[in-house]
Amino acid sequence: MSDHEMQVEGERATPSEAWRLELIDADRGIGRLVGASGSVPVLVEGAGTDWVVTLRGRRIAVAVRSWRERIMAEAETAAMAHSGPMAVKATLPGLIVAVAVEVGDEVDAGTSLLTIEAMKMQNEVRAPRAGRVIDVSVQPGQTVATGAPLLRLE
Amino acid sequence: MPPFRRLLIANRGEIAIRVIRACRELGIAPIAVHSDADVGALHMRLADSSQRIGPPSPRESYLSIEAIVDAAVRSGAEAVHPGYGFLSENVEFARAVEAAGLVFVGPPPATLESLGNKLAARSAAAAAGVPIVPGTTVAMTDDLTDLVEIGFPLMLKAAAGGGGRGMRRVETAGEVADALAAARREAASAFGDGTVYAERLIAPARHVEVQLLGDKHGRLAILGERDCSVQRRHQKLVEESPSPAVDEPTRSALFDSARGVAGAVDFHSAATVEFLLDSRGNHYFLEMNTRLQVEHGVTELVTGLDLVAWQIRVAGGERLPETVVGATSRGHAIEVRLYAEDPYRDFQPTAGRITTWQMPSGPGIRVDAGIEADTDLQPEYDPLLAKLMVLAEDRPSAIDRLRRALDETLVGGLQTDAGFLRWLVDDPAFVRGDYDTGLIAERWSVGRQLTSEEASMAATAALAARLGTAAPGAPLAVDVPEGSAWGRAARHEALRE
Repeated sequence: MSDHEMQVEGERATPSEAWRLELIDADRGIGRLVGASGSVPVLVEGAGTDWVVTLRGRRIAVAVRSWRERIMAEAETAAMAHSGPMAVKATLPGLIVAVAVEVGDEVDAGTSLLTIEAMKMQNEVRAPRAGRVIDVSVQPGQTVATGAPLLRLE
Repeated sequence: MPPFRRLLIANRGEIAIRVIRACRELGIAPIAVHSDADVGALHMRLADSSQRIGPPSPRESYLSIEAIVDAAVRSGAEAVHPGYGFLSENVEFARAVEAAGLVFVGPPPATLESLGNKLAARSAAAAAGVPIVPGTTVAMTDDLTDLVEIGFPLMLKAAAGGGGRGMRRVETAGEVADALAAARREAASAFGDGTVYAERLIAPARHVEVQLLGDKHGRLAILGERDCSVQRRHQKLVEESPSPAVDEPTRSALFDSARGVAGAVDFHSAATVEFLLDSRGNHYFLEMNTRLQVEHGVTELVTGLDLVAWQIRVAGGERLPETVVGATSRGHAIEVRLYAEDPYRDFQPTAGRITTWQMPSGPGIRVDAGIEADTDLQPEYDPLLAKLMVLAEDRPSAIDRLRRALDETLVGGLQTDAGFLRWLVDDPAFVRGDYDTGLIAERWSVGRQLTSEEASMAATAALAARLGTAAPGAPLAVDVPEGSAWGRAARHEALRE
């Protein structure tokens, strides 16, 4: 086996000797997991450290890291924990219907920052951590794509 | 003779395609409409021609009465089919279509009007002797004394409502003021009408609806019931017919009530009368939807009828024959809705590009979809990707078939509710037919947990993919296929480590 560390949906996980992957369409990642009691269809998408395995209809995020990548990721996390400016980004595309904060506001982790309407639903965007709002880059009525910067916290 | 020569479909996605197919079979030339976001979409390609109706925003395209009526007139259509959603129950739209000298495929505008307001519909049903959910039959004021009589918990609902919007569950008298304000605000913003009424909460309850088809000569067909109790946010995810909760006496009581509601208005075309069914088998009228339902295919499977074709034929003045009025159901059908929603994050919408799109097929399977591989999902529109339907001789075999269908289904690129649906077909309560509208709230919080076996299976697959140690699936092959970019990357990866 390898020295890779696996995280499934953010939790440590270990591969199983009971299952083996067969790829039927390697380009698209379509295959099956074969075990003693039969096989389960899977779709395996991704590259490098980040993979998504679709199993029984569910897309499951799997991180596969070598020891070197693990050390680099830990260093990055440590750097993130220091209170540098942090961009809050849209996790889904949609229409900005309300912005609840202004530049200069102090917010706690969990404070509602703005509301994005997507597919008829209103979704609150909350502060991932405490901080001061130093920049608001969207306004109500504006459409945003996934990953678009919404505002920055210091 | 086809009922019309050309018909315009004022919709998009899977339902536009469904109507286009009915037109083709009837010998009618189908005309599509599209917004700028839908250029090149499947519904546009399957029609004879397509009219541009505006920018991506639904308000300026699929909800624009002017743009659509213009397109219909310009294209020489004789009739307009509204599909579901968008303008399908819009009185002004139906009137505008008729004013332009075209046939609206749906009930008369006056009927849309009287049933579109839920308060008016409740009164009409009560007057026809149909049981309604106990509650107010007039708009709520800020005087809350009536609510004490109804009892708590209760539901606040928008009179102009639909799709779960403007709806609030209220547990105690103390919560009423806030909930009322919120429901009014939501109703006003969604429907332009903040009128709210109150109903006693019936729980546990099943959501059962009766399919109607009527002609312009007073003939009415009652085409069985559908159980739509698996819901999130008061919106349906799964529908089946017959309902496992309905016995013969209940069924005939439901049909009588449905007939009573339809008889209270001037009705033709297709419609659905929705009821709540309590644990003792009592039913209560909820609303009548005067359009084709998303889940009409379930009824088509068990009755063998083409509801869309009949909708168009009765719009052209044809009489319903005995084979339709006397149609009976055979077997058991289940539909599951494949949505671009994340069931692990409260069914929030997801978006992105569909990479892999593999749909099931084979005996007893029907897939209505408006999606293909390499499609970018449009966040402006409904997140429904496809409806997977199965027909089998009885409910247990329908569930087995559905499980097989879901195992053949693969969607890449974004999270869908397929994981929820796959869990559902193994859920003992669902398999027994013993479930109600609380199923997701009560059982899914446990169901959505990743089991340790699933976690290690996912880890196994990802690790093998990264290291390039997956066995090729084709028999006798012994290596990762040559010439595959993915395989080369995997081998390169394996060497580097």
